[in-house]
Amino acid sequence: MQRILLVILVYLMTSQIVTKNCYSVEPDEFLQNPKKELRARNISKNVRCLVCQNQSIDESSAPLAKDLRILIRRKIEHGNSDEEIYNFLTERYGDFILLNPPFKISTLFLWILPFVFLAIGIFVIFLHNNKSKKLDYNK
Amino acid sequence: MKKKILISPIIVFFLILLVFFYLLIIDRNPSELPSVLINKKVPAFKAKLLFENKTFISPGEFGNETTIVNFFATWCKPCLDEHPYLKKLSNERGLKIIGINYKDDSKRAIKWLEKLGNPYSNVLVDPNARLGIDWGVYGLPETFIVNSNGVIKYRLVGPITKKNYDAFVLKVKKIEK
Repeated sequence: MQRILLVILVYLMTSQIVTKNCYSVEPDEFLQNPKKELRARNISKNVRCLVCQNQSIDESSAPLAKDLRILIRRKIEHGNSDEEIYNFLTERYGDFILLNPPFKISTLFLWILPFVFLAIGIFVIFLHNNKSKKLDYNK
Repeated sequence: MKKKILISPIIVFFLILLVFFYLLIIDRNPSELPSVLINKKVPAFKAKLLFENKTFISPGEFGNETTIVNFFATWCKPCLDEHPYLKKLSNERGLKIIGINYKDDSKRAIKWLEKLGNPYSNVLVDPNARLGIDWGVYGLPETFIVNSNGVIKYRLVGPITKKNYDAFVLKVKKIEK
């Protein structure tokens, strides 16, 4: 019984490793220069696939993701900087294409609200503590 | 006072619930993206024509009149459903419609248009999706309305259907004014 469990455990662990290393980038897309290829991979990881919207184009096998991966590599070969490539994409698809939303007036709430809620939470706990302390003294 | 404070989270909870239910009930596709190209000039590009051995140059060919730009492909089933409505727009309203044949086999596209009728004044070919990316296309079919100054005013993701045809015509009329 223990042995079976061990086999299952090992299987689960290794299958996890396999799927983690399984990206959709196809061999024919790779750039010859490993430094440039690494740059392309890093950009791809930050770019949202607009077909399957919670995956990066690095993970997605949708045709549009492939087209964008090839386009990014072509732009790198042409000597474009990372920023120029991100700008090219957001000019066409908007900030939504970036998996990491930029800090702007339109995204202010998105970035600030968690801290506001945290502050409210701390305030409530503080208030509650004070109240229960007072109750204790009254007893 | 204490009672009020205790009851307020419940009220907030129900308000949030109300908002969620409202968003569920209204006719809305949450994965649909607004185009960032709205109120911008049409992108500059060059493309080969499907039927003639000529090059189409944008933005030179835009302007003068309201123009519809429609991305389609023979492999796209909703495009087939949309086709009669594009013909209707072209025949009944005399609109100039530019078709962009997205990642398709040109021979198949020619056959498809010969069989179903051709509502397009020009059909451009986009074999490697470069035009599609320039227009921010992410799912076929997509239809843009470009005004007489060559400015993109509206984008529809998904087909023109019986359900949204009248609304689409209304949009066109508004932009034509």
